[in-house]
Amino acid sequence: MYQYIAVIIFGIAALLSVISRKAGYITVVAGSVILIVAGFRPSDYQSYFILISSIVWILISIYSLEYDRKYGRWLSSLFSLTVMGMAMILVSQTYLIFIAGWEVMSIASYAIIGLNSRDHTPPYVFMVFSEISTILIIAGSVFAIFQQGGFSFSFLPVGNDTPLLLISLGCITKMGITPFMISEWLPIAHGNAPANASAMLSATMTLMGVFMIFRLISLSPQSIAIGIFFLAIGSISVLFASIYAYIAENMKMLGGFSTIENNGSILSALGLLLIVQQDVFRIFIILTIIIFSFAHSLGKTGLFLTVGSTKGEYFSQVSAGSGRWVSAGSIISFASLSGLFPTLGGLATWMLLESFFMEAYLGGFLGIIAIVVGSVIAMGEGMAAGAMIKMSSFTQLYPKTRTSRSGGLAIFLVGSLIILLFLASPIVFPAVLKGSVSGTLVFYGFTIESRFGPADFGLISPLYITVVIGAFALLAYAIFGKPRERAVPAWNGGRQDLTVYTSYSYSSNIRLMLRRILRTHVTSGSQPVSVVDIFWNTMIAVARSYRNMARRITLGVMNSSIGWYMVYMIVTFMVVLLISAYVA
Amino acid sequence: MKYYSFGEPSGRFIGYSQGFKVYATTIARQYTDMRQPEKKAVPQGEFYFGYGPSTGGMIESVGVDLLTPGELITEAYVNPSYKQRNVTIRGRTIGDASLIVERINAFHCAAHSIAFASAVEDALGFDLPDGIAHTRIIALELERIRSNLLVIERMCQPAGFGVPANQLAILREEATRIVSRATGHRYFFSSISPGCSMMNLSGVGNAVRKISSTFSRIYDDLLESKVFMSRLINNGKVSIDSLIGPAARASGQARDARIDSATLPYSRFGFTPVLHETSDAFARFQVRSEEILQSAGIVSDALNGASNTGKMEKLEGDGEGAARVESPQGDLFYYVKVENSIVRDIVMVSPSSSNIAAFTQSMKGNIFTDFHFNWESFGIWISEAGVVLQ
Repeated sequence: MYQYIAVIIFGIAALLSVISRKAGYITVVAGSVILIVAGFRPSDYQSYFILISSIVWILISIYSLEYDRKYGRWLSSLFSLTVMGMAMILVSQTYLIFIAGWEVMSIASYAIIGLNSRDHTPPYVFMVFSEISTILIIAGSVFAIFQQGGFSFSFLPVGNDTPLLLISLGCITKMGITPFMISEWLPIAHGNAPANASAMLSATMTLMGVFMIFRLISLSPQSIAIGIFFLAIGSISVLFASIYAYIAENMKMLGGFSTIENNGSILSALGLLLIVQQDVFRIFIILTIIIFSFAHSLGKTGLFLTVGSTKGEYFSQVSAGSGRWVSAGSIISFASLSGLFPTLGGLATWMLLESFFMEAYLGGFLGIIAIVVGSVIAMGEGMAAGAMIKMSSFTQLYPKTRTSRSGGLAIFLVGSLIILLFLASPIVFPAVLKGSVSGTLVFYGFTIESRFGPADFGLISPLYITVVIGAFALLAYAIFGKPRERAVPAWNGGRQDLTVYTSYSYSSNIRLMLRRILRTHVTSGSQPVSVVDIFWNTMIAVARSYRNMARRITLGVMNSSIGWYMVYMIVTFMVVLLISAYVA
Repeated sequence: MKYYSFGEPSGRFIGYSQGFKVYATTIARQYTDMRQPEKKAVPQGEFYFGYGPSTGGMIESVGVDLLTPGELITEAYVNPSYKQRNVTIRGRTIGDASLIVERINAFHCAAHSIAFASAVEDALGFDLPDGIAHTRIIALELERIRSNLLVIERMCQPAGFGVPANQLAILREEATRIVSRATGHRYFFSSISPGCSMMNLSGVGNAVRKISSTFSRIYDDLLESKVFMSRLINNGKVSIDSLIGPAARASGQARDARIDSATLPYSRFGFTPVLHETSDAFARFQVRSEEILQSAGIVSDALNGASNTGKMEKLEGDGEGAARVESPQGDLFYYVKVENSIVRDIVMVSPSSSNIAAFTQSMKGNIFTDFHFNWESFGIWISEAGVVLQ
């Protein structure tokens, strides 16, 4: 109940923001702290989503204190309102509050995109997909309420998996999962949403979908069919989104696709959760989902805040200034999104792949599916690492100006949290998933074990990894000291002119190698290697076909003929009766 | 001039240089802009990748600019003039000029020396005895064997084919030793000059047959390698009208100075050019390889009737002369104007200049990893393209 205080505070923040931006953001920080205190319980896995979201909102609000001056007073207010909608989802105990929160979140974020967009398409696309997701969620909620007897709107266990399927489809639409990837990247990339709003949309709005699917799974019976469905679309999303992230020239588009890739990974883990029977293994998968969500949200926050500090959305326009702390925070965020150690993303990726290998080890038909999905995800993770290396190289390693950048504190805080949470991660694991290796520095309490029974499958020690990396770094420093820098003219085959490598060129290898998949066009025009979004094109083609079919039916059948109208009414009435009889 | 006349274009186009446009049987005095073409403006996202002139990947100094959006090459420019040599020949005696000409591209000394000597002989009205003509054919074909061995060796290197590359290097050294034994110099220096060709041809036939036989086995092995073939097939396809030499013959065009230039009597040996159709680096590789075997056969035939030495009665007089021979890279043309034994004018049209133009065309649509295979397949020599004869 105390959690609703935080929701009210976020509402107050929205009002306060109209008067003072800073007051609005500070109030969001206060509300987030209260939400953590009131809502987070270490033993309640669902409450980890409150912790993740609140931390992200705090970080974005700190960043926004110096960031959003050029975006007018409405940004702060709408930001607070969106946060309020998300908080309603997180604390909701009934389907009604959940749906209300979903709509508040969608409409407020639509307004952010709409007010900042120079083109009507991005906000329109965002709203269309938001409303599709709302329809599916309402349909699923109605089914769930009907299953519960039709009188209680509370989240209670349901007897079949239809509500899970419908609500999940709604959440998937919002998460940008294949084939709805356009719903995620287009509004972010071309909606000109400010970086803080992009971070919020990408890091926490899609997290609401994960949260709701996770919650519904806990209320629904296990469903291998839905699990396999999640695995299929999740892994396809990981692969394609990582490829599109790799070839993206717009940094926000890269971030948007990276979000889809992360959501695909989490959805795959949710699919595995629906399949797996062993309790210990299920706990490991649940923690995988939570750790991955944490890593994704923090990493994505770092990414979008970095984009906001580079004064340009396209790699070709990047005018990143220098700043040691900004660079450190950014590169740690990118490393986490690449699945590298010693970051939380590294742990999350290890746990995800470990989960699939464990399921594969169990064998059978599901084992084969697990090894295929695990392999696809591993390929996607590799591609994602390439995308993040591109991001690091073109925004951080080669600053184009000597000016210091804004937002350094928040970005550095994000990076620090990613490392600290990696170190502290064993705390959230139950005793059954902890272990040690005697005679080594892998101590009990600092080591995570993957297992589905008494015997362990694999293990990882965040402390050990960090100590080893740190020790070697310090040893190198002790031996060689601070590296001496010597600026020399670049060597270019003996010429005076210099070759400047471009981010577009960095990605063209994939554009060309995967030309059959990406439908790459090679022409002699001004942009010789171009790629189309095959999912968006397919969706447009399907929509056009549907419109043409509807037009033909309108002209051929529904053409004001009273006879055909009567037939239509009778058939529709009978179909509705049949469906009602079946459901009853 | 018994081989050439000034006038309207006649026959296939050979090349241009210093106010001359050279065709199969005529020379048109026509100015051609020799400057490097203007580079295309860089489109958004693309960049010029500058390769060379100082790089370990190429034998000679050459600057290559590849316009690329990454991987794919959309334009290519080759600048052979980074280390341009201005060589003064005009005003020198024929003997001195001959010593300089053989050093223009030392690796192809025989081709340059024979073309120059033939032009001088044409200018001075000297009829080359058959024996010397046969000796020159042997020299040219020996040089072709060695040059083609180097080209194929260089094509193996970027594929990481150390074993065949070194086997070919051994064969190349064998060919060089044959030349050394026959002429006293590994690169034919001072063995070919107007009116004479001095070669000791004993043992040449057997040694060349041995090279041919060993190369035949290496060639068969290379054709078995799908990895190697995949780097050559469809790489650098070009089929333009101005192709010459092996590049032309690899696109099915029977262009060869050995059949349409009367400078040397190849027709006596029933010569027909090796032709392939696919116009790519693989076809050029096949043409070069099969020409090694063919050249070995020509050497064997030409040994009958070749004379070891020859001597021009006198290198005096006035006149204009022109000659064209088939160097390993293609048509090599020399024009000279001699006045009282002094070279007053000289024009050289090198095959490498034409091959550079063909190479730049062929690189469009390729990827950078194809670069070295394609470059080597043309057998371009910057020393004869980046030189100005004065």
